[in-house]
Amino acid sequence: MSTATITTDINIGPFKIPANGQNMIMNNYASRNNLVVEVIIPEPLMSNALATTQWLHKEKKLDKVILCTIHQLPVKQDRIDKLLNNMEDVEFHFALEGISGTGRNFLLECIKEAKMFMNAKTIDSTKTTWSKLFKMKQEIGTR
Amino acid sequence: MDLYEELVRGPGYAVCPIENMRLFKKLRDSFLDKINISTESKKNINTARSAIVKMSLAEINSSRINLLTFTNLSDMIINSCPSLVETLCGKELFIQRRAHIIFNVPDKELLRIWNHYEMISGISPFTYVLWAPLHDLDDDGGAYIIDQKESLEVMKKEEAEGLVNGPTVLNMMEKQKPARLKFGQLVVFNPFVLHGNVQFNSKFARIACNVRFQSYHKPLLQKNSDYLKYYRLP
Repeated sequence: MSTATITTDINIGPFKIPANGQNMIMNNYASRNNLVVEVIIPEPLMSNALATTQWLHKEKKLDKVILCTIHQLPVKQDRIDKLLNNMEDVEFHFALEGISGTGRNFLLECIKEAKMFMNAKTIDSTKTTWSKLFKMKQEIGTR
Repeated sequence: MDLYEELVRGPGYAVCPIENMRLFKKLRDSFLDKINISTESKKNINTARSAIVKMSLAEINSSRINLLTFTNLSDMIINSCPSLVETLCGKELFIQRRAHIIFNVPDKELLRIWNHYEMISGISPFTYVLWAPLHDLDDDGGAYIIDQKESLEVMKKEEAEGLVNGPTVLNMMEKQKPARLKFGQLVVFNPFVLHGNVQFNSKFARIACNVRFQSYHKPLLQKNSDYLKYYRLP
């Protein structure tokens, strides 16, 4: 039984986190939560299936995995189903959100929340100014 | 002017009563349990305030780490003022995942919050902040807020100079007078009004909690699931 950290593609939902940054975030989370990391799993870029993790789980029997964020969970239903079937007994930790849990319901809640954030509109901060943001609030209102 | 108009088009902030004092008192009791710095058998906010004053910066930091276990703090603050929150943003919200409990300690320069706009952190322009002390504010340990008109003038001046939170903003701190709120009052403000703390003299530290929230139906800026969570008011 072991604890693993999982690095993925640099593009993670709304974030862009290089692999060494991901490692720093997860190792800091592990240290703050007294978790000892024994396995480091590099998932391939341009894939959020977490297939390498599932394959390694069969061999190494992982009991805890740490990811940076809920946005690294699969999006497509068939991939979600595979993850739930293969890893529902594993404790998942999401460092940026600071949440953890085990089981199908916990993972489905995380996937649902990630989807809600992905569906929310986001203002591109590289294409605006402070005054434009203020004007936007005044014109659109807050409710 | 109603609350929504005051917050959007008026001064940009308002002092309001906490709606559910029973819950807010429970929040304060949970804080005292979690911070665990009072040696007295009956835990009391003033004993905690006076203990904090005597602590080193490292001890204060480590006691704040104890508060990481206060995972329902955001929900408790929001649920202490549900009508206010709904008036400003509706029932479906993004709220701060981990609300803050902050100390302002006399003579500890490093713990003072500099004059700033909430916007500098990357929260959405549609966000509001609820800030409430956990005791009466009888000294200048509270927070001051500069109204929206004056804050905007500074913001525009800085923008023209290509600056954010530059010397003009920082030099405004000394002449400010924090509001003396009572336990059971809060201040709600939009992210464009300047605010901060001043140095003050007291035997007690100031302890306050704050949380940020916005409508789920309004756009995010840079803060995402790392900072916010979905929340629906009952």
